[in-house]
Amino acid sequence: MKRYLGTVAATAVLATGFGTTAFAENYTIGISNTVQGNGWREEMICAMKAQALSSGEVDSLNIAHRNTDASGQLEDIRNLIQAGVDAIVLNPSNADGVNSAIEEAIEAGIVVVAVDQAVTAPGAYILSNNQEEYAYLGAKWLFEEIGGSGSVVYMRGAAGAGADNDRDKGFQRALAEFPDVEIAHEVFTGWQQDQGKQQILDYLATGIPFDGVWTSGIDNVIVDAFLESDVPLVPIVGADNAGFVGQLASVEGFTGAAVTNPGSIGGAGVTLALQILDGDAPDSNTVLVDPMIWANNDPEGKKLIEEAQNPNLDPEWPVSVSIPGWTTYTMEEIIACKGPGE
Amino acid sequence: MNRVLGKHGWTLGLLALLVLLFGITRIIQPNFGASGLDSLSRAALPFAFATAAMVIVVIAGGIDLSVASMMAVAGVTAAVLMEGAGTGGTLFAVAVVLVAGLAMGALNGALIVVTRVPDIVVTLAMLFVWEGVALLILKAPGGTATPWLREMIVGPLVFAWLPKSLVFLAVCLAAVWVPLKRSKLGLSIYAIGSDELAAYRSGVSVGRTRIAAYALCGLLSAIGGLTLTMSTGNGEPIPGPYLLASVAAAVLGGAVLGGGRGALLGPVIAVFVLRLVRMDLTLASVDPNVTTIVEGTIMVAVVMLGGVLAMRRRRA
Repeated sequence: MKRYLGTVAATAVLATGFGTTAFAENYTIGISNTVQGNGWREEMICAMKAQALSSGEVDSLNIAHRNTDASGQLEDIRNLIQAGVDAIVLNPSNADGVNSAIEEAIEAGIVVVAVDQAVTAPGAYILSNNQEEYAYLGAKWLFEEIGGSGSVVYMRGAAGAGADNDRDKGFQRALAEFPDVEIAHEVFTGWQQDQGKQQILDYLATGIPFDGVWTSGIDNVIVDAFLESDVPLVPIVGADNAGFVGQLASVEGFTGAAVTNPGSIGGAGVTLALQILDGDAPDSNTVLVDPMIWANNDPEGKKLIEEAQNPNLDPEWPVSVSIPGWTTYTMEEIIACKGPGE
Repeated sequence: MNRVLGKHGWTLGLLALLVLLFGITRIIQPNFGASGLDSLSRAALPFAFATAAMVIVVIAGGIDLSVASMMAVAGVTAAVLMEGAGTGGTLFAVAVVLVAGLAMGALNGALIVVTRVPDIVVTLAMLFVWEGVALLILKAPGGTATPWLREMIVGPLVFAWLPKSLVFLAVCLAAVWVPLKRSKLGLSIYAIGSDELAAYRSGVSVGRTRIAAYALCGLLSAIGGLTLTMSTGNGEPIPGPYLLASVAAAVLGGAVLGGGRGALLGPVIAVFVLRLVRMDLTLASVDPNVTTIVEGTIMVAVVMLGGVLAMRRRRA
């Protein structure tokens, strides 16, 4: 009886709530992420928190943020459904593996936005960095830089990860355009700084000559390795991480390029979810954010690199801490990394 | 009554803890019901099989660090074989995966017995070997799972509050555990874990028993890998977080690292306890970085409490 009364009361509250205002404007948003302790992902989480706070529409965030696989993400999404959130913003573990839970969420009336990587579940919204283009842009610049012939070290992300696979497609597309370029050495850094540095040190120690390095975002430690080993620098491609962008501006005799891959896409995902909750859904379910390349031997790139210098950021964090039109928080807010109610 | 309590005290204690946690869940989320139970049971599935696999080798006095990697091999093999397969093809894929699991486990066991290199070293090496094998089979997440197989662990069975996945778990574990427990092999596994020399002098073939225990561990890991593919709908070559979770649940469930003691029910209840703790922390929107600390603390506290209780009982 008590429970029945409770339900009646809740329904009454809901009914009056809807009667008086069009939007409740105090949403609960669930977040699911499966890589912890990586600078890019931490910036993504902080962007989500800062944007939720800045929007003023979010009462609380339920964050499931840990190192796990697709099956663990299914568990997290289902727990968020149980928690009764209004929207879920997730960075999917892979494109198909979490569809079943996403479909259950949509069935329960929850708005689902996938950021960074795509999902194939119909009804989910996708706000993603274009990973294939990311690799293509950097690789093409590198191959042109070494004069269209020679050998490069190919330092990939994590073996078997969806984003790594997409980037490989872009890299291979560029490679096919330059028949005289070959891969001298291919390794998986696992997107771990220490591992990537050890791998390049090992390769430098062999003394085998090569003409350039393409990295999947584990970049500043690679430059460090060259400097520490006293080996002449070759052109290096990285991401727009604060440490690497700093090196592009300050290391003498170093030619390199940073490809943008904003972690702040997480904040944009929260904005998109709120827009949909407020009844303003985009025309297409997929919004792709195309990367840009900043080369330090090109005047325009050099200007962008100089503008992006930010000593307050963690060297592993991407410098593009906001996305115009999508995020409204300030630099201080994202660095503080506080969500609503914290 | 006292004998039952003494023998199954740990398991009953865990069961009480689980009931308590369900109570807490209802307080945090009053709407928690059949669908929540279904979510919990589906999440527990791969962990429960990994734990069961670990428990068998732990009882035999060993450890298998390659459990999660074998699950990855099984998962990707199933996903690749099931691509475009009909009913016959799916059954064939399941059979291949189970046999592959037995074979991987038996190889682990044989290497330990033949080379006499410690189990922890051999299975650590095999962790990398099976990880590589999984990546050779599938470079990136891919393949498919046959829809009717996936349906086997979705939704309730007969009663709204009885998840199909729980029945699936119970049937699979019983099919392996019940005959084993009643057989000579089961007794031998406990015997070599308890005291290898005494077992040898009593006529137990220590080497063969050890290989059999690892083979069963491989079989259960393979079923765990299969459930991963069934729940995600594709195969993932990178191993999930099942190795440490399985050791944790085995210990929390009352299996003694060192061998000779333990059973399956306690560790499986422990898996549900750990999953429910995570669910509650998510429902209560606790800081995700604090979540793992809480999980670890609960484990240490429960195991310590168990130790204190056991000591008191001995003194009394």
